[in-house]
Amino acid sequence: MTMDQGECTGTPDAPHAVVEINLAIISAEALLKTCYWFSRDFVCEMRNRNERVAEVCLTPRNPDSGFDLASTKDAFQTSAMDFALREKIEAKTSGIRDLLLAKAFSESGVLEDQPEGVFGDTVEEMKPDSMFKILGSPQH
Amino acid sequence: MRLTTTGEVHNFDRSIIGIITTKPLPPEERRQRIRFVAADETIQAQDVSEYRALLCHDELKDIPGVPYVHRLRESDHLKDGDIVVLERNAGVVRSLYRPYELHHHLFVTERCNSNCLMCSQPPKDRDDVEALTERNLELIRLIAPHPPYLTITGGEPTLLGDNLFKLITQLKLSMPETELHMLTNGRTFAWPEYARRFAQAEHPNISLGIPLYSDFAGAHDYVVQAKGAFDQTVAGMHQAARNGIRVEVRVVLHKLTIPRLTKLMDFIYRNLTFAEHIALMGLEYTGYTPRNIEELWIDPYDYQDELEEAVEYLAVRNINVSIYNHQLCVLRPSLWSYARKSISDWKTLYLPECEKCSALPACGGLFQWAVRKHSDHIHAIAFSEPSAIQKCS
Amino acid sequence: MARAFYPLERFAPAPAGFHLLPFRFTRLNGKELLVNEAGEFIFAPAGTVERLADERLDANTELYQDLKAKHFIYDDSSSPLLDILATKVRTKFDHMCGGTKLHIFVVTLRCEHSCEYCQVSRQTATRGEFDMSHATADRAIVMMMDSPARAVTLEFQGGEPLLAFDVIQYIIPRAKKQAREKGKDLDIVVCTNLACVTDDILMYFRDEGVKVSTSLDGPAFLHNKNRPRPGHNSYEKAIEGIERSRAILGMESVAALMTTTAASLDYAAEIVDEYVRQEFHSIFLRPISPYGFAVKTRHRTGYEMDRFLEFYKEGLAHILKVNRGGYRIAEVYTQILLTKILTPHSTRYVDMQSPAGEAWNVLVYNYDGDVYASDESRMLAEMHDWTFRLGNVHKDTRRTLFTSDAALQMFQASCNQALPGCSDCAFQSYCAADPVYHHATQGDMYGHRPTSGFCARNMEVIKHLFALIEENDRETMRILWSWVTGQSAKREVVECA
Repeated sequence: MTMDQGECTGTPDAPHAVVEINLAIISAEALLKTCYWFSRDFVCEMRNRNERVAEVCLTPRNPDSGFDLASTKDAFQTSAMDFALREKIEAKTSGIRDLLLAKAFSESGVLEDQPEGVFGDTVEEMKPDSMFKILGSPQH
Repeated sequence: MRLTTTGEVHNFDRSIIGIITTKPLPPEERRQRIRFVAADETIQAQDVSEYRALLCHDELKDIPGVPYVHRLRESDHLKDGDIVVLERNAGVVRSLYRPYELHHHLFVTERCNSNCLMCSQPPKDRDDVEALTERNLELIRLIAPHPPYLTITGGEPTLLGDNLFKLITQLKLSMPETELHMLTNGRTFAWPEYARRFAQAEHPNISLGIPLYSDFAGAHDYVVQAKGAFDQTVAGMHQAARNGIRVEVRVVLHKLTIPRLTKLMDFIYRNLTFAEHIALMGLEYTGYTPRNIEELWIDPYDYQDELEEAVEYLAVRNINVSIYNHQLCVLRPSLWSYARKSISDWKTLYLPECEKCSALPACGGLFQWAVRKHSDHIHAIAFSEPSAIQKCS
Repeated sequence: MARAFYPLERFAPAPAGFHLLPFRFTRLNGKELLVNEAGEFIFAPAGTVERLADERLDANTELYQDLKAKHFIYDDSSSPLLDILATKVRTKFDHMCGGTKLHIFVVTLRCEHSCEYCQVSRQTATRGEFDMSHATADRAIVMMMDSPARAVTLEFQGGEPLLAFDVIQYIIPRAKKQAREKGKDLDIVVCTNLACVTDDILMYFRDEGVKVSTSLDGPAFLHNKNRPRPGHNSYEKAIEGIERSRAILGMESVAALMTTTAASLDYAAEIVDEYVRQEFHSIFLRPISPYGFAVKTRHRTGYEMDRFLEFYKEGLAHILKVNRGGYRIAEVYTQILLTKILTPHSTRYVDMQSPAGEAWNVLVYNYDGDVYASDESRMLAEMHDWTFRLGNVHKDTRRTLFTSDAALQMFQASCNQALPGCSDCAFQSYCAADPVYHHATQGDMYGHRPTSGFCARNMEVIKHLFALIEENDRETMRILWSWVTGQSAKREVVECA
């Protein structure tokens, strides 16, 4: 995989697909990940057409493999979009994921917090020394 | 089966609890007894010293200093060995324990912090805990013979606070081999300290029966009419399990719980993996249910698809499941082996169509109130082979 | 006074918005498959993930309720129940608990077979030269019992362990004594081709509660082709050995494993039928071991697994057919994956864990006292690759083994959560990491996922199983679940008029 200003460096006559990538939507990281998976079947060469658009040239490693280039482009676009989605999701969930894993692997962190909300019936809530006040007090 | 009757109270001002004897007993055996005097009996003061009280259907000649309740409205239901409480107010004679019954309950309070749409024992906001605990402590001491199982019920037993631990300790002392099952909404167990204290009571054989009505918090909270109840109940079950307390999950089947039933089973399997048993219960037409019947009623015959799917879900995962309060004729035959005869003896009823049914011996029947509301599909079953009935229960 | 009842909106108000909990996804058969951090999955219509990423999902739908109940999203109308989710995640890592459980003792390298794929055996060696000495055995037992695990399994391997039966007899009573002293449960297994087993040996095993695991590659022509020996009768000896072992040890104490070779790949149904004929109730369709090749220089296309995958699918279909016919036989690889996919639990099988089971859950003590992270690690050493040799029982303690350079380097590549290609993968919770495999086949412990045979195999099999799960054929699911739970799939049906 090469980043190059020139043409696809594969055999000029070899069938290849060129995929346009909008860099505002798909980050370089997502693009790299997509190329990573496509590199089993294709030589992937990336270059920037300008600061908003990149081009990826996909040349089948095995010319006889029978890859349909139209559906290859489609698959690449879909895969790149999916990696962009994963980045979005990761950005929104990394904080809570860290918290979750910290709780999962801590010796005592799980289930020690005092529960929230109203617990008693009317009778209990009216008592100055309700059992839920006692349960929630510092010495416990 | 009648639970209460009333009569005229004489010579006592605090409730009296005791075991009924219909026969005269020697003085050294009278200490725990309430003597039921027959109509044609005449008794003298020395005949009745040491008894806790006397009961008579008819008029009883007053013996000064001897507590009694006479002129009872009904008395056919009172049998030798029954434990009753004579309530000072209103002259109520309440049966608390009948040795010959299959199922026994210890009723500990009418208070509850939920308000389920289908509650069979609608809660009262009156603090009855002290009085009932005192009564129950004595009841536990009187119960004979010791039953194999006892269900602690209410209201919400955990609202008793330390009084509940007193009762459990007394049960441990008086009848350690009796298996206890406590019906609770589990919410109080969300407090880590409460779950710890409960476990510290160290009863050798107790499990909790906790209802869960949906995998979706809002739906569960709506059914139990308490905001935050789902979160508290699920957390409570986890705390209980963490402290080694055995948990069973109960689901009442009605229009609000049927739509997501299998998804609820999935939620229990993945999130409450420690649950020992799932109890799927038929709706009881009593308590709040008649008031909310429009929202709740679905003919059991009409939810067999969902029920079968839910039971299959649990069965392949090797999870124990039982179906309660359903008649065999409305259940699919594939579910018969999961149906249990669960209706308390004093509640059971069979309809006229039941007389000709070959499944009658294995069927649990209906609740008393089913006269007013039951499936449209109750019918007698005839078997193509007589041995088929053995495969039920 | 009676209490009031409140409407649904009070308890399930329309949420102001929702938040995401961590999850991974992939596209499968036109739908999206989402998997959360605890390995719970849900099938959703295409486009769901995009709507979730943009927080644009309609709260009034069953899908919303499903996603919330299954811990993919949460909103402020109720708790995210993070502690419950954390407990579920923790349960999925149960296999990490307690330290190394499987301890393999290679008591000898001597063997009278000459199987093509085997790196290790020494046919012409004299007694003693390649046998485990008493001193080494003593040290290895101490090392095994030093593991914190409450229950350990001692597995005898070779070469052919029965050729060093005296060493086995030396080890067993000493291992049992130390297990008793330390309050540990001890299971003992012998992996043997049974060719030289005698009734005396079997009776000794019976008396000591030892189980036998042997090889059965398929019908005679296949088994003999795979396992040449003088007399060309490996199959006959294996069957004879199985029968004798069952007679003395009992049916449940004799298990069989197959080795798949290129020759096996055309005979999936025949191999299954052979297992049924020999009354086995489990079969493990394992891929061809990659450790026999001059692997680092070979060009890999990423398609090496294709033929095996066809073999596996044919085999599984045939096994399901056999089960439907009433004979219960489970496929082990499927059972392992389904345990990870369908249940809240992790697997005890060391080759399908993340963090990888190497060293954490298995240790191999070679005849010379060298300690390896896995059996495959030992095979690499036979080809002069000592990357995964952790140390030696005569020089090391458990601590120095686990903090050796070899171990630390391997641990860094042992978590698929942190491997390229795996960190985003929807199947991460179901798959595993195998630094030894990737080092052996690709020259790199971390591995190159697109051309990894390990990835190709697991990914394709997991997809195949998800297709079955989605199809949800009642009988198929009952059979598969019976493998997972170990219980019967049979059900009583009551007939009535």
